[in-house]
Amino acid sequence: MSGCGGGDDDAVTFFFQARPEEARSRLKIIDEFRRRRPDITIRTIMSGPDPLQQMLTYCAGGKCPDVLMSWELLYAGLAERGVLVDLQGLLDRDPRYAAELHADGYAPLRDTFLWRGGQYALPEQWSGVFLYYNRKLFAEAGIQPPVRWSEAWGYAEFLAAATALTRRDSGGRTQQWGFVDAWVPYFSAACFGMNNGAEWFSPPVQPVRTNIGDPRFAEGLQFYADLAVRHGVAPSVGDRQSVSAQDLFRSGKAAMLMGGHWLYSEFTGHDGLDFDVTVLPVGPHGGPGAMTDVGSTGLAIAAASPRREQAWEFVKFATGPEGQALIAASGLFVPVLKSAMHTTGFADAHRGIRNLEVFTEGPANSRQMAVTPQWGKVEALLERGCNRVLRGAATADSLGGRTATDIDAVLRAAT
Amino acid sequence: MSGPERGATGLLSGESAAGAEARPPAAERGRGRAGATALARRRARAGALFIAPNLAAVAVFLLFPLGFSLYLSFHSWDLFSAPRFVGMDNYRRLFTADPLFYIALRNTAVFTVLTLVPTVVISLAIAALLNRKLAGIAVFRTIAFLPLVASTVAMAVVFRFIFASDDGLLNRMLGWIGLGPVPWLTDPDWALVSLSLVTVWKSVPFATVILLAAMQGVPENLYEAAQIDGAGAFRRFRSITVPLIRGALSFVFVITIINSVQAFDQAYALTGSNGGPETGTYVLGIMLFQNAFRFYEVGYASALAWVIFAILLVLTLIQLRLSRRAEADL
Repeated sequence: MSGCGGGDDDAVTFFFQARPEEARSRLKIIDEFRRRRPDITIRTIMSGPDPLQQMLTYCAGGKCPDVLMSWELLYAGLAERGVLVDLQGLLDRDPRYAAELHADGYAPLRDTFLWRGGQYALPEQWSGVFLYYNRKLFAEAGIQPPVRWSEAWGYAEFLAAATALTRRDSGGRTQQWGFVDAWVPYFSAACFGMNNGAEWFSPPVQPVRTNIGDPRFAEGLQFYADLAVRHGVAPSVGDRQSVSAQDLFRSGKAAMLMGGHWLYSEFTGHDGLDFDVTVLPVGPHGGPGAMTDVGSTGLAIAAASPRREQAWEFVKFATGPEGQALIAASGLFVPVLKSAMHTTGFADAHRGIRNLEVFTEGPANSRQMAVTPQWGKVEALLERGCNRVLRGAATADSLGGRTATDIDAVLRAAT
Repeated sequence: MSGPERGATGLLSGESAAGAEARPPAAERGRGRAGATALARRRARAGALFIAPNLAAVAVFLLFPLGFSLYLSFHSWDLFSAPRFVGMDNYRRLFTADPLFYIALRNTAVFTVLTLVPTVVISLAIAALLNRKLAGIAVFRTIAFLPLVASTVAMAVVFRFIFASDDGLLNRMLGWIGLGPVPWLTDPDWALVSLSLVTVWKSVPFATVILLAAMQGVPENLYEAAQIDGAGAFRRFRSITVPLIRGALSFVFVITIINSVQAFDQAYALTGSNGGPETGTYVLGIMLFQNAFRFYEVGYASALAWVIFAILLVLTLIQLRLSRRAEADL
């Protein structure tokens, strides 16, 4: 795999971030594309820990990769700076393909990459979050979790389950956690807020205000914080410094784990870990069904690419029915087309999962978090405000004050 | 500028250098003037050629970035569109419209004090111990200097485990002596203390090297005379060692202040890119990085860089003046 962009050869450069297993799966798709289109060469560029910074550095330096992996939360900054090409023009040239993609895809995922009327990326994988659970621990406690997004637990039921699944020794030290979080805590907390009937940002794409001060959102966020702070069924901010949520779940010391499909390969193939997946709980003001975040990543093409046509052929393949079927059968991603989602390949790749509806219904039950070119600033403010709440030094209501005002000012400046 | 330095600078101007060195006797002056001038010119050209690569490197890698960052500090630039001239807006925004600047300034000031005092005290003590002629002292010197070669990021990662609230080594040790756990990295106030501890750990070896070198230059007969006069070890240290290493101490002060005000890597690795928790470790270095490489407000970050430069310049000048006054008092 190449580690640098540009070069004077005629290869289409493809920039992405992936863990080793994901990279191997991506290479399968690239190999298949090479087989079908030997006239187009693809050269991969792996991202470091901060892909946005890397992409901006490459592109500002005139070495922008041709195809760029795009994150729901990050792509708007690139689109706003003119780094990405509006794919709508390319879709318009290919109306049959566009219509097929439209009918087969999921609106929440596709609309995530609509920025100022342009389609700046096509969804490639669904990465929304849900709950992994340990089947054995659930059976021992006699708990039956929901199997689909429309039949979610209420907050009270979820808390009762997490409490029943938390075990402490005689000295008060926790031996088994009911719930652990393997995602970004304030993102997870926001999902709980959204599941209590209030969206995080309004509108989610190009937002003009945040709703973290909305009492329903604050109640959901507080419920998440209280799992650790008040109820002790989840590791506290301090506990999380020395324990890895994945390790706890893998070793049977946590009954439920919140995360996305990217963790699936870490949990399969572990003897003694019998797990399944379930949906997020719904608060008293939310519902009727549960929702998750879009969390989707897509593929975009650099506006400065001299190989736009070849790049488009690759993007079409990876985001279209053929590439998506390969993705589905690899078991490493959840595809973004209905046709791929319902293939036997996808089911075979998730043979241990009985609640496959959590995946197959996931994209349709996804909601955007926020799409703004000022995400970096907004995130810094969110982290600052939410830290106080998550460590128990303030209540979620406090976010409606200074934090919300500062975020709204940043959002206003961006519109 | 001191005498020798002035002389060295003079040598750079080829004419005068060649003239001073190769002046012919009076009788030959008329005949040899043309040859001597040609020689002087050749020498000047050769000199210029020799220093040209260095001058070019200084111009390209030092003067140009300096000048460009000053230029950018009066512009708004997001890396892609052309820089837009905004005059003093970036500086005005920094001083009047960004409350985070004052938070960063206060944190940096507290962090500098928390780092400077222990660094100087501990490195003085360690240098004094290592200055003794004992068997096996070379081994202790090596151990004492080990943090100097450790990667800042790697050591910050190790310290994250040491500072962990629940199972961290430090809290376990506090537990052994009956003290409750401290939220080293989860409480904003404690996080700054933790950051200072790590920085002191990293800074002490360098300061010790400087002070130890200075201590080894103190004439032995002064100690012998003081000992004969009945001065104890502490008195000898206070009245002989400290005054005679004042120059080195002053250098350690200045370098530690500069390093503290510019602190970035240890804060980034220990508490993240946002200077958390909350604004607990939001120091000027983090603010600079955040604005330049996370928010892509390069002009604003350049203005902040120049403000940091001005702060350091003032602090260094004050320190130099104080140390000169102290030298005059000796």
